[in-house]
Amino acid sequence: MKSFVTLLKNELKLNIRNMNMVIFAVIIPLVVLIILGFIYGTKPAADGTAYTFLEQSFGALCCISICAGGLMGLPLVVSEYRERKILKRFKVTPVNPVKLLVVEFTIYVIYCVVSMLTLFLFAMLFWKIKIHGSLLLFLGSWLLTMVSTLSIGLLVGGIAKNMKSASVIACILYFPMLIFSGTTLPFEVMPAAMQKIISMFPLTQGIQLMKATFLGLPIENVLLPVGFMGAVIFICFGISVKCFKWE
Amino acid sequence: MQTAIKVEQLSKSYGNLLAIDQISLSVKYGTVYGLLGANGAGKSTTIECILGTKKADSGTVSVLGLNPKEDRRRLFQNVGVQFQENNYQPEIKVSELCDETACLYKAPADWKTLCEKFGIGSKIDHAVKNLSGGERQRLFIVLALIPNPKLVFLDELTTGLDTKARRDVWKILSELKDNGLTIFLTSHFMDEVEALCDEICILKKGKAVFYGTVEQAKKASGCEKFEDAYLMLFGEVVEE
Repeated sequence: MKSFVTLLKNELKLNIRNMNMVIFAVIIPLVVLIILGFIYGTKPAADGTAYTFLEQSFGALCCISICAGGLMGLPLVVSEYRERKILKRFKVTPVNPVKLLVVEFTIYVIYCVVSMLTLFLFAMLFWKIKIHGSLLLFLGSWLLTMVSTLSIGLLVGGIAKNMKSASVIACILYFPMLIFSGTTLPFEVMPAAMQKIISMFPLTQGIQLMKATFLGLPIENVLLPVGFMGAVIFICFGISVKCFKWE
Repeated sequence: MQTAIKVEQLSKSYGNLLAIDQISLSVKYGTVYGLLGANGAGKSTTIECILGTKKADSGTVSVLGLNPKEDRRRLFQNVGVQFQENNYQPEIKVSELCDETACLYKAPADWKTLCEKFGIGSKIDHAVKNLSGGERQRLFIVLALIPNPKLVFLDELTTGLDTKARRDVWKILSELKDNGLTIFLTSHFMDEVEALCDEICILKKGKAVFYGTVEQAKKASGCEKFEDAYLMLFGEVVEE
């Protein structure tokens, strides 16, 4: 446990020193929130809805940091450590590889938590958003979305041959998910056929669930997204640990 | 248990290139063993096959009575390693690298004291990438000693060090040896090998061409200076 804390502390310091994730996972979501805030303020999402546009978008905003960490940060750091032979140095120590993966994983969880809290604080102070649904259910959906997306990142970092291919896979996952999952473009405006395809992204499922729990909308068939994301987590973690390569 | 490292019939090839060919060696506890040879002779490959970071094609390896592949986590509690190429996180500081290494062991040495001993005590707040080549080399010897190991592998331990720093490193290693540390090293400096090693093995193109002590090497070659002996033993095989 002590070694976990020491590793986490040092790796987090290195990650912050790098600044990439501070910008992409904390500052960018905040900038998007502020822009949306100035445009929509406290206007309702549509005529006659009880909730505002910002409240409707809050779940999607939380997903920017989840995407940045899970689909860019985590795969790149794991493959970078392998390519730079830092993992090889760890191989000749008594460390358990699972511990290393969990340390890196936790760093991105921390970014997501920080991002979610700053977004909530800003949106609450300046644009008076409030949770219409259930806080606990919202946090549950957020957690599920985050862990499933990060686990995909862990898998990509784990199986990519080198940093270059990790970065290509990360881009292929990152941009479509960011654009089409409802993070930036609303899911509802897309054609039905496309909706079917992008429902395959765990992020899409997560955003729908977060939106519904935040706004207190009825959720039909809650088991489907929960089961789907749970399966993604299970499979991705399993493969990352099973197929872990030091070099 | 008399032998710290026992290697039998170890072979490894990369594609068609036979990197090491049927190497057998054994290292006694509390001794310094030197693996010598030209660049590309197979020294690093031998070390990596012993450590399990490379997979040997055939042969058996036992280190401190354990199998490095199967008992990795138990074995490396007591084994320190300095690789030929030093790898570290891009922005990491000396203190962070030492701290991160020390936290992995049950009973680590005090890394600050080790840094002082190796003359880099004033550099612990510096980024590793900003150290000079010699300072970085000493840092990685420190890292290999942080576990308080029973056995340490040092691959080209003093490459890049100035004369004074080399002598300092020898002195520290001799003291550690007197305290029971077993050392497995590779080196291109014959004065170093003569000063430190109890036994040596000379590799040529992946084959062991000489086993024994420095004195035996001199005797076998009929040379007074060990460097000449090394070249002679090396050269004889070329002519065969």
